This record gives sequence, structure tokens and C-alpha cells, in this order.
Amino acid sequence: MWFFDNLAMGFSVALTPINLFYALVGVFLGTIIGVLPGIGPMTGIALLIPITFGLPPTSAIILMAGIYYGAMYGGSTTSILVNAPGESSSVVTCFDGYAMAKQGRAGPALAAAAIGSFIAGTFATLVLMLIGPWVAAFALNFGPPEYFSLMLAGLTIVTSLAGRSLVKALLATTIGLAIATIGIDLQSGVPRYTFGNPELLDGLEFLVVAIGLFALSEVLVNLADMRQAVQERLAIKGPLWLTREDWARALPAFIRGTLSGFFVGGIAGAGAAVASFFSYGIEKKMAQHKDELGKGAIEGVAAPEAANNAAAGGALIHLLCLGIPGSGTTAIMLGALMMLGLQPGPLLFQQQPQFVWGLIASMYIGNVMLLVLNLPLVGMWVKILDIPLYLLVMFIILFSFLGVYTMNNSTQDLFLLLVFGIIGYLLRRLDIPASPIILGMVLGDLMEQALRQSLLISDGSLAIFVTRPFSLFFLFLAIVSITNPYWKYIGIGLRRLFGRAAVA
Amino acid sequence: MKENRIASVVFLLVALVYLALAFLTIPKPTVLQILGPDVFPKMIGVVMLFLAGLYVLQSFRGVEQTDEARAAIIGAEEKLSEYVDVKTIGKMLALMLVYVWIFDPLGYPLATFLMFVTGILILDRRHWMRDTIIAVIASFGFYFVFSLVLRVQLPAGPLKWLGL
Repeated sequence: MWFFDNLAMGFSVALTPINLFYALVGVFLGTIIGVLPGIGPMTGIALLIPITFGLPPTSAIILMAGIYYGAMYGGSTTSILVNAPGESSSVVTCFDGYAMAKQGRAGPALAAAAIGSFIAGTFATLVLMLIGPWVAAFALNFGPPEYFSLMLAGLTIVTSLAGRSLVKALLATTIGLAIATIGIDLQSGVPRYTFGNPELLDGLEFLVVAIGLFALSEVLVNLADMRQAVQERLAIKGPLWLTREDWARALPAFIRGTLSGFFVGGIAGAGAAVASFFSYGIEKKMAQHKDELGKGAIEGVAAPEAANNAAAGGALIHLLCLGIPGSGTTAIMLGALMMLGLQPGPLLFQQQPQFVWGLIASMYIGNVMLLVLNLPLVGMWVKILDIPLYLLVMFIILFSFLGVYTMNNSTQDLFLLLVFGIIGYLLRRLDIPASPIILGMVLGDLMEQALRQSLLISDGSLAIFVTRPFSLFFLFLAIVSITNPYWKYIGIGLRRLFGRAAVA
Repeated sequence: MKENRIASVVFLLVALVYLALAFLTIPKPTVLQILGPDVFPKMIGVVMLFLAGLYVLQSFRGVEQTDEARAAIIGAEEKLSEYVDVKTIGKMLALMLVYVWIFDPLGYPLATFLMFVTGILILDRRHWMRDTIIAVIASFGFYFVFSLVLRVQLPAGPLKWLGL
């Protein structure tokens, strides 16, 4: 079996002591990031990318992936014990997790979250392993028109799910695309938007923008309001494991959460937060004890936690097989991989098999590590919350500047970092999401290239995007995703125009 | 909201300037191409201008609909509270600006130590003993780890004579 050979090769890469070490460091740091309030996976990965500079690409992605799913894991702990979600995808876990903890059942809640994450993470890795090569092989048939439309769809799907206002989110995307046009145009050698500044010829450094918009802006958000709310932390009483009855109730929820999270959050690109809400909705309809949901039902912890981890794993399929990020976090990972000189996409499976399979194997290992690390050490993770906010702020400042400086040894980058930190803060105030900016910035160059190559093939005719079936399908997805908030109003409008009878 | 009105006009201006620069400053390449270097920026500029225009309309007519239930489901970030501690934020921004400025001349360990200690004095000085020790570790300790163990180059500043 070809994939057993590949998997064996992957494990031989992942099980080297140094890569095991990086996986451990990754999940460890990731869990800390997940537990810390305010620092989500996106900020965490942006801040920690500089650590990966000196590493070979395989070790770097193993470390980053560890941080990524470690952070997804860690978020649930604070949801359950403190009622303070570490990130948006563990908001749902608060509903029943905190209620369970209040009833003295924090142990089973934490265990359900950890086991659910483990099952979902392993499932997502398994599917990535089984279908990844097929998806990649299929995507090899894509030409530039398909890629352009696919990127457009990816951009609009993520954007339509970011923030409260579609106009603001789309505006953020165009800003990101505009930032991507700064620097020398590689095809014609013409400088664009450089204003004669030689440091801008290479474009704005991706990491400066990412760390500024996410990490430093978080610092400013905290500084603007340091009146820290005192959080009541619930003690962990009782056993840290599930009873037979818990298992009977949680197991179907794990499965429902994993499947729905994987397809809705991962494959459809809706993201981990939507996945967790979606699976909670399913539990409300399908769980045996649906009346208990919201009052401390174990299904309410098991399903969403499985869903957000399955979604995180599913998003990696887009990143590795298609080279298109399905979320803000994977956009940052894509940017980091490009900085390491790798171009994720369908060719990756053929050209860098030890990289892809090493990563897949390390994800199995990382999931086991998380399960082993998290439950016994839960007391220690919660202690992290004792770090006073002002020290946390100082450390984020420290790491932001250190990370940006080590990239080019340039103090101009530090200044730009500060500028983007302020911009990021203002955007937060205005409720304009920052992740579309990063996505636009990462995809901008690729989209422009694909557009040019497409028009070269068609000799300048835009019809090429609609005459090729897959391209047309992706364009259709793009249109659906940006119009969907308005369907409601279109429906109302139609009814007004034609009267009720016509529509019915 | 006043903030949104100002912001929407700023975005409109940014879009206009971006588009104008695409027309004015991007030179034509010598070899004829189907899609020159100016076309993609012009496309982005037009879309940006359109969206910024919508934003202006929304903010001035106050029709921006926010669906809080939907916002919760997609995990939109919480809106910030209206309260802004201008004094603290201003001091810390000034501190970071000074940090950028002294980063090279004073070297990483010294500049970071000063930044950290000043930051603690601004934010919370009740545990200064403990926090000063943390500052020493975070500046000098990190410097040694990064430059000696990880081999990342950081400016040594006047500490160069220590031979490190």
C-alpha cells in the first residue's frame, strides 16, 4: 500500500529526536497561547514565527502545526474553568463547560474536551492522509483560470465570515491586496508604490504587518483598558475522567461534532468558530438529553470541541493540497512557509514528500502528546492565568519587537511594526476585521500572476473564467458567499414587489 | 458614530490616492503585455473606491446593520468598550517609539531592560523588586540565549567590550 510506505517515511521524519522535540515545544507553547486570554492561534503563530527562522522547513511546520492545534486545545480549559474563552472557537464550550464546572463536574468536562479534540484531530489527520494526495493530484489539472477563481472564492468565503459588516470586511481585503502590490512587479520589473524608498522594493514584510495587526494591536487594546475584571476560577473536583454514562452520551456527540466540524468548518472553509456553533446546533436537535443543553450537558462540550479541532485539521487540507488558506491562521502559516522558501500547493506532495508526510505523522504524535500533556497538567495551565496582565503586555511587546528585528536586522521594520500596531488598534475600534488584510496580502501576488497567465492563455478574453467549468463553479461560490447576508432582504424585497401570491 | 464617519472618509481618500497613483506613477513596461503592471492595482483601486463609498454612505446615513446573533456565530471579535485610557496608551506608545530609537545605539540588552523597567513603572509599580528581576532575565537573559544558543544576531551596543 503506497500510503503505508509514505506514512512510514513520515514517521521516520517525525520521530527523529529533534522533530519530536519541536512537536513537543509546539504543542506546549500552543497550549499556553490557547489558555492566555486575548492571544489566539493567529497572534500566537505570528509572534512565534521568528523562532522557526533557523530551522529546516519540516521542523518549522511541525512546530507551527503544534502551536496551531495546541492553541485550539488550550482554549477550552479556560472556557470550562473560568468562563473566559481563550478564542472565538471555544465560546460555545463555555455554555455547558462552565455550567458543568459549577456543578463540580469540571473534571469530566475537561476530559470530554480533551478526548473530543483528540478524536477530531486524529480523524482530520487521517482524512488529510487519505484524500490529501488525491485532492492534490486533482488540483494539478487546474490551470491559472481555475486557480484565480479558487483564490477569489477563498478570499470571499473567509471575508464574508469575518466581522459584523460585510462592507468593512471586503474593504479590509482590498487593503490587503493593495499592500501586496507594493514593491517591484516581478513580471515587468517595474517598481510600484515604492515612493523611491529602496527598502520598499521587496514589498512590505509580511511578518511586520501580521505581528503589528495582531500582536501589537492586542497590546494597545489591553493598555486602553487595564481595569482587569477579577475572574472567578472554579476548582477541579472529582475524577478527571469520564464515567460509563458520560461515555455513552459523549461518544455520539464526538462523532457528530467531528464530522460536522470537518465538513462545515474545514472543507467548506467556514472556520473553527462557525464549526463549533454549527455542531452545537446539531446537538440541540439530535442529542438524547437536549433539554439539558446549556445547563451542563456533556454533549455541549464534547461536540463543539471536536468540531473546532476537526475544522482546524480540515483547513490544513486547503493549505497543503491547494495552497489556498481557508482561515486567517492558515494564511499566516502560508506566509511563513513562503518565507521559508516553500510554495504550498498540489506540487508539494510530489516534490516534498518528506515534508508533507513528516507533518502528517507529527500531527498524530502531537495529538497524543496533547492528550497526555493536558489532562494531568491542567492545574498548571490554569496557573498561567495568574500572570498579571501588565507583565503579559510587556512580554508581547518584547516578543513583537524581537521577532521583527531578527528578520532583517532593520530598525525601519520596527518603526513600521509600531505603525501597523496602531492601525490594527484603530481597526479593532472601528470593528473592521484584520484577518482579511493578511489573507489579501498573502494571496495578492498569486492572484495577479494567475490572472495574467489566464489572460495570456485566452489572449486577453475574460470569458476564460466562465467557460471552464471548475473556474465557473468557484466563481459561483464566491458570488454566493458575498451575497448570502443579503438573501433575506432580497426575499423580502421580492415579496413586496410581487405580492405574496407570486412568490408562494 | 463619529469614529466611523471619519474612518470612512479616510478610507475613501486612501482609495482615491491609491487609484490615482496607479494611473500616475506606475510606468508602462517597454515590452507590450496583455496585462501590464498597472492593471491589477487599478482593478483593486476601483473595488476599494466602491466599497469605501458604500462605507461612507452607511456611516453617514447610519444604516449599518449589525446582526449580533450572526456575529456571535462567526466568532467576530467583541466590540471594544468606549473607555480609552488615553494617558496610559500615550505613554506606552511614546515608550515604544523611544525603544525603536535606542534599539541600535544602546544595543538589545540595555535598551530592552530600560524599556521593560519603564513600562513596569508606568503600568504597575507595586511589585518592582520581582518585576525588575524579570526585566533582567527578559533583556540580558534573552540576549544571551538568542545570541549564544540560537545564534540570532542582536545589536550588542556598548556591551560589546564584554566580548560577547
